[in-house]
Amino acid sequence: MTAFLARRALQAIAVVLLVTLIVFGLTWVGPAGAAAQVLGTGAHQEFLGAYLGWLGQVLQGNLGRSARLNESVGSLLAASLPRTLVLTGLSTLIALIVAIPVGLLQAVRRSSATDHVLRGITFLFYGMPPFVLGSVLVLFFAVDKHFFGAEGPQAPGIIGVVTDVRDLTLPVATLTLVTIAIFARYMRSSALDSLAQEYVEAARARGAGQRRVVLQHVLRNSLVPVVTLLGLSFPQIVGGALVVESLFNIQGMGWQIWQAAQNHDFAVTLGFTLVIAVAAAVGSLLADVAYAILDPRVRDVQA
Amino acid sequence: MQPGGQATYIFPFLAGTVGLDADSVFDIDDFQYMLYRPLYWFGTGVNPYLNPQVSLADTPVYHGHQVTIRLKSTNKWSNGEPVDADDVVFWMNMMAAMKDGVYYSTTGLPSDVTNVKAASKYVVTMDITSPKFSESWFTNNELSEITPMPMAWDRTASGPSNCVANVSDCTAVYDYLNSQATNVSTYGSSPLWGVVDGPWKTQSLNSQGKLVLKYNKSYSGPTTPGHITTFIEIPFTSEQAEYNVLQDPTGSQTIDVGYLPTVDAPVPPAGANVGSNPSSLSDYKLNVNYAWQLSYMPYNFRNDTGQAPIFDQLYFRQAFQSLVDQEGVISGPLHGYGKPTIGPVSDYPVTKYLSPQIANQGDQWTLSISRAETLLRDNGWSVNPNGTDTCIHAGTGAGECGAKIAAGTPLKFNLIYATGIDWMESAVRELSSNASLAGIQLSLTAESFGDVVGSAFGCDPGVSGSNCKWQLALWGSWTYQPDYLPTGDTLFQGGAPNNAGDYDTTQNNTLIQDTLDARTPAQFDKSMYTWQNYLAGQLPVVYQPDNATLVETINGLDIGPQNSAFTITPEDWHYLK
Repeated sequence: MTAFLARRALQAIAVVLLVTLIVFGLTWVGPAGAAAQVLGTGAHQEFLGAYLGWLGQVLQGNLGRSARLNESVGSLLAASLPRTLVLTGLSTLIALIVAIPVGLLQAVRRSSATDHVLRGITFLFYGMPPFVLGSVLVLFFAVDKHFFGAEGPQAPGIIGVVTDVRDLTLPVATLTLVTIAIFARYMRSSALDSLAQEYVEAARARGAGQRRVVLQHVLRNSLVPVVTLLGLSFPQIVGGALVVESLFNIQGMGWQIWQAAQNHDFAVTLGFTLVIAVAAAVGSLLADVAYAILDPRVRDVQA
Repeated sequence: MQPGGQATYIFPFLAGTVGLDADSVFDIDDFQYMLYRPLYWFGTGVNPYLNPQVSLADTPVYHGHQVTIRLKSTNKWSNGEPVDADDVVFWMNMMAAMKDGVYYSTTGLPSDVTNVKAASKYVVTMDITSPKFSESWFTNNELSEITPMPMAWDRTASGPSNCVANVSDCTAVYDYLNSQATNVSTYGSSPLWGVVDGPWKTQSLNSQGKLVLKYNKSYSGPTTPGHITTFIEIPFTSEQAEYNVLQDPTGSQTIDVGYLPTVDAPVPPAGANVGSNPSSLSDYKLNVNYAWQLSYMPYNFRNDTGQAPIFDQLYFRQAFQSLVDQEGVISGPLHGYGKPTIGPVSDYPVTKYLSPQIANQGDQWTLSISRAETLLRDNGWSVNPNGTDTCIHAGTGAGECGAKIAAGTPLKFNLIYATGIDWMESAVRELSSNASLAGIQLSLTAESFGDVVGSAFGCDPGVSGSNCKWQLALWGSWTYQPDYLPTGDTLFQGGAPNNAGDYDTTQNNTLIQDTLDARTPAQFDKSMYTWQNYLAGQLPVVYQPDNATLVETINGLDIGPQNSAFTITPEDWHYLK
């Protein structure tokens, strides 16, 4: 297990370095001034020297400055990361809590009325753009009924964001509903595969009840692809959060990186991409670990 | 704040953007000018005229080539020092030292003056070096750029400096001030930035762009009884986000003044300037403002795709303008909140700079696909509606396509446009559709605003690596600030840095030069009208509709007429009892 973890960690580091190399390379060959903006006075160095210099700065915690916003990338990250973490973390957590039993229920009751209704609902949210869904929620719950706020939390820091339940509800609900649909569909598909496995038949032949079969044999094995999806989906969730952030006036990671890309703010683009790459690599690593825990065959084969 | 805009940079020195994009129009209009007043204030009612009452100095007086600026002795900095001649000289010296700022040009301040000096405590004099010059132009487009700076800023980290007397000291002073301006979190506490002569002081600016200003109790300019004392600017991520907040009066963050997306505004009745509010905004009053700007789409007369000679032909430009449905865009995607552009000088607000002849004749090139087809057919083109027109009579004679246009040349062009503005994207698609009906094929490419502007102003055939592939580019408008006079030297004179497509003809250049050389205001007006009457019909750019900005103010808040320079003046706002 230790060797497995070490190998996976090294792979994650290599992926992050590769991502930084590619993104840095793009700024190098990009419009005039891009490299200078990122590097400051070191714009005339050779590529490798410049890249290593930038990497050295990053390792010291210096991600550069935003030419557009007159702020250090670090302070922009400090302001936007908590909002995105809360938004995506809460919505993903709630989505998993709902999607796993929903997907499982659909699989167990395949082709029943319950399956058809739940499938219809998940299809609806799966196909609905977050912008439309969020706008509908705002119009009804904020503008018309005043149950919740029309914009996301504006307080700084994680505590300020988390405690503002009134303003946090609608953006989290928007992202959750879309994410539930994705996870529920994967869970249903995965559970159907598990239900067709021989070990399930064997369990039933041994007299195990439906509840025990589903919770002990089907659920655990069906979670493996969902966990993998979860680990790899962080960049997609941040991408999806961009729309929600834009609609709910949340200056989060997605919105900031989009603005930076639109306005040639290369230091921000590079710094935020690095953070997302690290998050994706860590997510993938954690998924692998969870995968190994859920399925001992994985670590036994790969160790 | 308007979506995407926020305060980012406090140092009100226009040349201070060396390597920094942060010093934006939002900073000037919605931040810096509220703290640090320009020498001359432009904005009288809705017009972009010099406002002597708000200005820090009396209207400049010209004696031959010498201009005399007399500052009002009543104006004070918040540290008690007077706003005097040295503060103007300080700015001029720093401008001379920082020659690579965005507003510096070899033909503008301070290169076109000499012998700048404080003749007395409140009088500055300088000699204009140009043999001929227009007093109107010099006041409106040169002196308009000056923002006096307090002596408290004439220092470096090691102590007081002497930029006011020695230009050689100014670079170090600038570096110090610029470095201080990079600490956004200290804007509210910095003793430097706390010295203001405007009606507001910064209390705080956070990294999300939320700005809190407090009224400057020692403000010595004109005041409005009952004015507000705290002014907070809130940034928004999108038009929709701001509209959502406007519609939710119970939210944790409510706003008294906000912007309404045009797409959400009910169309006003025929003939009315202002229509009703959306029903969800019954607590607000709708205000319609037009900026002092010109909306147009340049042709690239220097494009290296082989199509440039077509743009040189007046009949083609007439045909192409005939395919622009300005009224359709105004009544459609702009929901009635727009005005057609009819010449090289903005016609709304109607100013004294606009030629009466142009104003009277209005839009001469309203949508007419048949006119476009006739113009093309009469000049040697085979017109193929929904196909592609081609030149069938090459040559320079009557009924022929024109110089350097070969037989078989197709009417196919690329058009790059900025994304993110819904009505403009609709206008581009409609133009493409109309053009296709006349056999002109447009290849549309959506890019970010920065990319479009970068391409449009980045074409220089003489420079290696310059991109001159674009043929038509649309990003929006040109706002006349801090050069308020719409003389053609900014946008239409050959070689002007902001002449994106490089329209360059001898007669136009001569007529523009006449406006710059016209000494007296009467001569200036006459030459402006002569120039416009000529150039309006030459269609040097594709005229586009000018959109209004829709501002919602909560009932009971009187913000008065907003000047078209869009410099906000909350010190004049007050709640009605």
